[in-house]
Amino acid sequence: MEYSFEPILNTKQLVNLACATHLFLEYVGTVSLMSGPSMLPTLATSGEVVLEDRLTLRLNPKSLTRGDLVVVRSPIDPTTIVCKRVIGLPGDIVCVDPTGVKAPSTEHLLVPKGHIWLCGDNMAYSRDSRDYGPVPIALIRSKLFARVGL
Amino acid sequence: MYRQTRSQFKLFTPLNALVTASWRYIYWLPTAFVVSYYFVNLKIISGRSMQPTLNPDFSLWRDVGLFNRYAIHAKLDFARGDIVALRSPENPNRVLVKRIVGLPGDRVKTLPPYPTPEITVPQGQAWIEGDEPFHSDDSNRFGPVPLALIESRLISVVWPPSRFGHLFRSQPTPSKKNISTPQEHSAYQLAMAELDRQRWRSTRVTAASRNST
Repeated sequence: MEYSFEPILNTKQLVNLACATHLFLEYVGTVSLMSGPSMLPTLATSGEVVLEDRLTLRLNPKSLTRGDLVVVRSPIDPTTIVCKRVIGLPGDIVCVDPTGVKAPSTEHLLVPKGHIWLCGDNMAYSRDSRDYGPVPIALIRSKLFARVGL
Repeated sequence: MYRQTRSQFKLFTPLNALVTASWRYIYWLPTAFVVSYYFVNLKIISGRSMQPTLNPDFSLWRDVGLFNRYAIHAKLDFARGDIVALRSPENPNRVLVKRIVGLPGDRVKTLPPYPTPEITVPQGQAWIEGDEPFHSDDSNRFGPVPLALIESRLISVVWPPSRFGHLFRSQPTPSKKNISTPQEHSAYQLAMAELDRQRWRSTRVTAASRNST
């Protein structure tokens, strides 16, 4: 007796399914692992699993508000991705560094059109807009939606 | 399964029939989309900032370009002189087509709207300019841009047909020897002008010693 084993999806369809899954993760939302000390009181140094929301900012870019946690492609290194808090929106006047370490605490700056001002929560261990200035909105990948407790 | 149910679907509304008829194409959209997102895609180039390389005045059509996303996405292959498509740093919904003039560490002589006469391009950023300095929104106005904003590199022009393959073939240095027709003469002049612009660009940039080519 012979069985002819017929898979539900052939190879081409599997590739197609993988592409569809990838697009969902790329455009709707994904789970990702965070690491690094720059967001310390909010997110732990390692082993922090979060949900990224990619859809909201794509559909409604105006929903970005001050205080949001965003995931951005680093403006100083195209290979890395960083997570920071939005401090200023386009047109805001921000204090460059309230701690006075990287710039005098009296220095203020106008955030230009199409840019935002980002800052890590752990200001002592963070490379952010204080170092590289305002960041183009086009570099934002997603907004953090939730932290997943494990 | 779809083949079996097709006859039943034909009875439904026209829209439904349309979806059913084209389902076999809609089904493969995810693959098509991933290919256009990660490998190559076509884009219509509008505006005059890259004249006369793209959208020259004598052309009746807007140029359509074939862009390579793989070289940028996966290999981070940036070179001076490449024509690239990048998200505008001022408006995230706009895509600009410009030429990379300076890479990180280079010293670039800027053009008028920029406040300082010379600038060192910071780490992870690039100096981009249009070929037509008077009608271009480029680094001379908003300063160096992050490399992460660059999304694809122009391989060649595919439309209009008369200029198909423009930029793809490596152009030989123009020679004045075998010119007999007026067309050849104008082609020679265009090539010489292109060479002049290329030389002018390279005189304005002092390449960083680290990645000089």
